[in-house]
Amino acid sequence: MVDANKDFKKRLQKITFKALKATLKGVFFYAIYFVLSMFLAPISEIVPGFQQMVETFVMVYIFLIIVGELTSGTIFQHFLNAAKALFVILYLILSLKGGIMGITFQNINLIVDLRLFLIIAMLLSLLGFAKSMLQAINFLNEKTEYSHI
Amino acid sequence: MRIPIRIIGIATAFFWIILIVFSVSAAYSVKDLQFDFGEPQIGITSDNKILFSLPITIINKGYYNIGFFNITTEVSDKEGFTITRGTTFIPIIKKGEGITTTHNATIDVNDLLQSNQNYLFNGTELKILEVVSMRIAEVIPVQASTNLSIAWGAPLYNFTLGEIEYTVSNQTHLRAIIPISFENHAFFDLTGSIQICMYNSTDMLVDEGQTTIEARQNSPYRGYIELYVLTAEMTETGYFEVYFLTPLFSYGPLVIPYG
Repeated sequence: MVDANKDFKKRLQKITFKALKATLKGVFFYAIYFVLSMFLAPISEIVPGFQQMVETFVMVYIFLIIVGELTSGTIFQHFLNAAKALFVILYLILSLKGGIMGITFQNINLIVDLRLFLIIAMLLSLLGFAKSMLQAINFLNEKTEYSHI
Repeated sequence: MRIPIRIIGIATAFFWIILIVFSVSAAYSVKDLQFDFGEPQIGITSDNKILFSLPITIINKGYYNIGFFNITTEVSDKEGFTITRGTTFIPIIKKGEGITTTHNATIDVNDLLQSNQNYLFNGTELKILEVVSMRIAEVIPVQASTNLSIAWGAPLYNFTLGEIEYTVSNQTHLRAIIPISFENHAFFDLTGSIQICMYNSTDMLVDEGQTTIEARQNSPYRGYIELYVLTAEMTETGYFEVYFLTPLFSYGPLVIPYG
């Protein structure tokens, strides 16, 4: 009975710590977004939907960060990290329309070629994806080793 | 395996930070880029072409250099035929520096007349495509373009030869006075000469004459040409061949029947 109580307490502590860590990470990420959004404000005034696009990205990304943190210590954390990397790739491709963005503003057609940015971001995301895969493999490997011991 | 994974993580984070900071600062520094377009000017070049000049001042107060700054003006007619194209290219505008340049585009009226001779006699609309492109921080290509239209005023609008007045000059010759009138709707002053060749109904050149013209922009012109013709060669009907010789263009013959 005492052992079960101790075990419960330990689990509760662990979950609380994870939740706290997830909250802190989420808040930190949002703070970074908040600072950067001030610099991006001039673009938001010109490009309609830019703010919404960034906000949606930040929301989903923070959600994945929090869920990933809550599932830390399990294989799901690595799956979520991989999903996060894939989400970044897909979201950037879709929202940046393949890297060439066209905006019409008072009879002026503005074209911004962000392909270089997109390629670098995709490569970094792929690197993140590969890292998550390696982490998942490593996690399973270590788990198997411990269970054998 | 943990160490390589950690190294990958650190490297990824490092490059993400660089990418995000660079992208955001490059986007932010665009607001510190100033463009001042001066008053457009129209003139005539030494080789008698119409010259459009647009003074441009670019002040780069951003964090990065601006590369491959290019302005292109393309003038075309309603059918899409390109009349002229002018390009101004600045390889680099360094941060904290300002550059003043003049963007020029020339129109050769003779070339214009080759595509359509109506430009001399009828007003129309010309399309202008203005394209400004540059590379922000020398790596992010940005292009802005706009379509405009300007009215082309015909320099010889409503060109007409009036009723010929004949007076007897002597026993063999008649004095023919041919009134000329037109309106110069163009944005340039028209100076030059008009030559008229008078042919009778048997295609025989009866006489020819010339007069100088000087019509300021947006003003009417009225003048006349005097011809001395042999009474025997005169017929009731015939035609005139009109030639226009100006520094900007040469055109002719414009055939106008009489009688």
